[in-house]
Amino acid sequence: MSSISLSKTNRRNLLIGAALFVAILWLLANAAAIGPWMERNGVVLRQALVTGLLIGGVYGLVAMGLTLIFGVLDIINFAHGALLTAGMYITFVLYDRYGVDPYVAILVTVPALFAIGVVVQRLIIHPARNAPTHNQLLLTLGLALFIENLLLVIFTGTPRSIRLTYGRGATDLGLLTVDFPLRLAGTTITMNRLAAFLFALLLTGLLYLLLQRTDLGKSIRATAQDKEGARLVGIDIARVNLVTFGLGAACVGAAAALVLPFLAVDPTAGNTFNITAFVIVVLGGMGSIPGALLAGFLVGLTQEMSVVFLPSSTKLIGVFAVFILALMFRPQGLLGRRVD
Amino acid sequence: MRDFGKVFVLLLVLLLTLAACVDQPAEEPTEAPAPAEPTEEPAEEPAEEPAEEPTEEPVEEPTEEPAEEPTEEPAEEPTEEATEEAAEEPAAEGEPILIGGIHPLTGALAGDGIQMDNAIQMAIAEINEAGGVLGGRQFEYLSSDSTGSAEVGQTEAERLIQEGAAALICCFQSAVTANVAAIAEREQVPLVIDVAVADAILQQGYTYTFRLQPNATVMGVRGADFLQAIAEATGAEINTIAYFYDGTTGFGDSVRQAFATRAAELGWEIVDEVGYDPFGVTDLTTEMTRVNGLAPDIVVVTGYYNDGLLVARNAEEVGLDVQAIYGVAQGTYDVPQFVTDAGDLAQCFFDSNYHWDASNAEAQAVRDSFQEQYGEEMRTAAVLAYESMRLVAAAVEEAGSADPVAIRDAISGISYEDHLLPYEGPIEFDEAGETIVAAPVVMQVQDGAIYQVWPPDVAEREPIMPCVSWQE
Repeated sequence: MSSISLSKTNRRNLLIGAALFVAILWLLANAAAIGPWMERNGVVLRQALVTGLLIGGVYGLVAMGLTLIFGVLDIINFAHGALLTAGMYITFVLYDRYGVDPYVAILVTVPALFAIGVVVQRLIIHPARNAPTHNQLLLTLGLALFIENLLLVIFTGTPRSIRLTYGRGATDLGLLTVDFPLRLAGTTITMNRLAAFLFALLLTGLLYLLLQRTDLGKSIRATAQDKEGARLVGIDIARVNLVTFGLGAACVGAAAALVLPFLAVDPTAGNTFNITAFVIVVLGGMGSIPGALLAGFLVGLTQEMSVVFLPSSTKLIGVFAVFILALMFRPQGLLGRRVD
Repeated sequence: MRDFGKVFVLLLVLLLTLAACVDQPAEEPTEAPAPAEPTEEPAEEPAEEPAEEPTEEPVEEPTEEPAEEPTEEPAEEPTEEATEEAAEEPAAEGEPILIGGIHPLTGALAGDGIQMDNAIQMAIAEINEAGGVLGGRQFEYLSSDSTGSAEVGQTEAERLIQEGAAALICCFQSAVTANVAAIAEREQVPLVIDVAVADAILQQGYTYTFRLQPNATVMGVRGADFLQAIAEATGAEINTIAYFYDGTTGFGDSVRQAFATRAAELGWEIVDEVGYDPFGVTDLTTEMTRVNGLAPDIVVVTGYYNDGLLVARNAEEVGLDVQAIYGVAQGTYDVPQFVTDAGDLAQCFFDSNYHWDASNAEAQAVRDSFQEQYGEEMRTAAVLAYESMRLVAAAVEEAGSADPVAIRDAISGISYEDHLLPYEGPIEFDEAGETIVAAPVVMQVQDGAIYQVWPPDVAEREPIMPCVSWQE
């Protein structure tokens, strides 16, 4: 029922489409034809494009975990944002107490969140697997509130943040020296956002490979497609569920370490990402991993573009407008498969 | 296995309910900023002798005895509980006077709520030690937890009044305060607001509620006035402003409107206004780029801690070309944690916000004493709570009685001189119950510490403008 992966042609079309989309926007931003308006707003438009892309990658990573869990377990994980917050605190403690670089901390947060995910699945979700969906939904919601308040008890409501000592000014990257923040046609690209974006893409690629190329990935996809069929060919569904929930949580573990260099954390920090992630998952097609990445970029770009075209206040207006429009024409989501 | 699942569902639903009770509504930025564990020493100490004890409560001779309550009973009918209560209230001379305090002692705001609660206890202990009031009567404190919820705050207020509280001090959050003020009015028990910023609380025609801190309008208007004065003093020229503010709660908008009105009178043009969701914003780079293109002289910010930090970081990243970044009731730029979190880029950030008077030696002594007793740096909210208690004590003395109505009358006519706040003149209340002289002060980060820089009579250092750390 869910399409975790794409066919080859779909994949190619998708890549071409996305590249075209970005290229058109960039050309638009530079087009002289639009005249004085562009002269005033060209830089803002380009900045919106850059920022939207960069944050979109992270959104995609977070949403991917959510969509993976949904695709396989048919569970909407409301605790996703809370898990992200937990990951951010783990990163913070590692940095604050032990001086561990947040990008190195990924090596800890990913396994840690994977473990938490497995435990949650084993102890909380699995026992309720035969319960009605709304019960399972409540379970994850309760889990979210539990995590949030646990963090509140441990860390209080005081916002915490970290400050990297590098990534400003001339930075030696081995092959070349780059002056951060990067200035590109009037736009600003900071090291930490660029790093978040690149790492997010890399991890997305790895996850995709894992799903496509390994036996484990194949059994996960098989389970997503048809639980009974998968069972019949000897796949251990319970184990697949465990691993899937772990992987989903591991995605936010990585995202948590990536956003901490530019976002402060408090016990409710993950909620922002939670709402965005839900929108992305539905927009991309529930259960579709490429859809999540695509919708992640789309939401990131839309959100920033609305800064250019709309009076501010809430960036999400544009996002929801696109969301509603998209669902009017493709109720199954951009890359979701129509349910017959 | 299935039973196990059921038990878990039950357990989680229980947890959920519990957690929902603890869930916090957002509070106003001016109330939010303080970190639970400030990592830095308070930078404001000019080496003043912190020796003197802040216990200059007028220890009056036992002239009158508080036996006259029954005759002073209010003519209007309060609710039954209060009437019953009032019947047993005329306390014998030895009996302590009960003061109720309502603050968030659990939940997200517990850090500040507990500080405020402690500050009131400290004030009471000092007053009692110095001989109490009315010739030897002691205060007794009824501490209560609002949990950050307006409904809980309201029932707690009712409970405290039933238990005989002669006055209330509360609440730290505007929503809670609004509910408690309604109860105080109905039950005819005076309420002193230590911290809560919304204008609306005192626009209901209440006669029993008084506020110590500057309200949203005062914050906005005085913030603009001070900015103008600082520009004049430093020779900077201001023509255009861009405003970043919390656009999702009434707080940011009301401060912004007050500021904008005053800005128009001062001849400034507001070239851009960026409203954002302080709890959802993850990036303001695009907005900052837009603002930078409009080349404002000053960027003004009103909001909470996280978003204020984000504004600072994004401004530096974009290389925002301004003369200053100036917070108005901003929860970030006057908090020592900001210097830790932002490092060098914090240099020169202004914040026009409520504060204790850092140039006052007695305020330092009180804060030292608090630090000694509770092991935490005393933050502004706690100083306001401490002052609220001392104000109530002064009013009781003035009233010559512990009757709530008499205390209320005394507060409304009081002229309270030796306070620890950077206000010009004694604390007196207007018709609505606002402190007439309530005003923010302007602080600025200089060399890794926060100093009061305006107005001049409470300034510890000269303001620096134009100045942002990323520009030479």
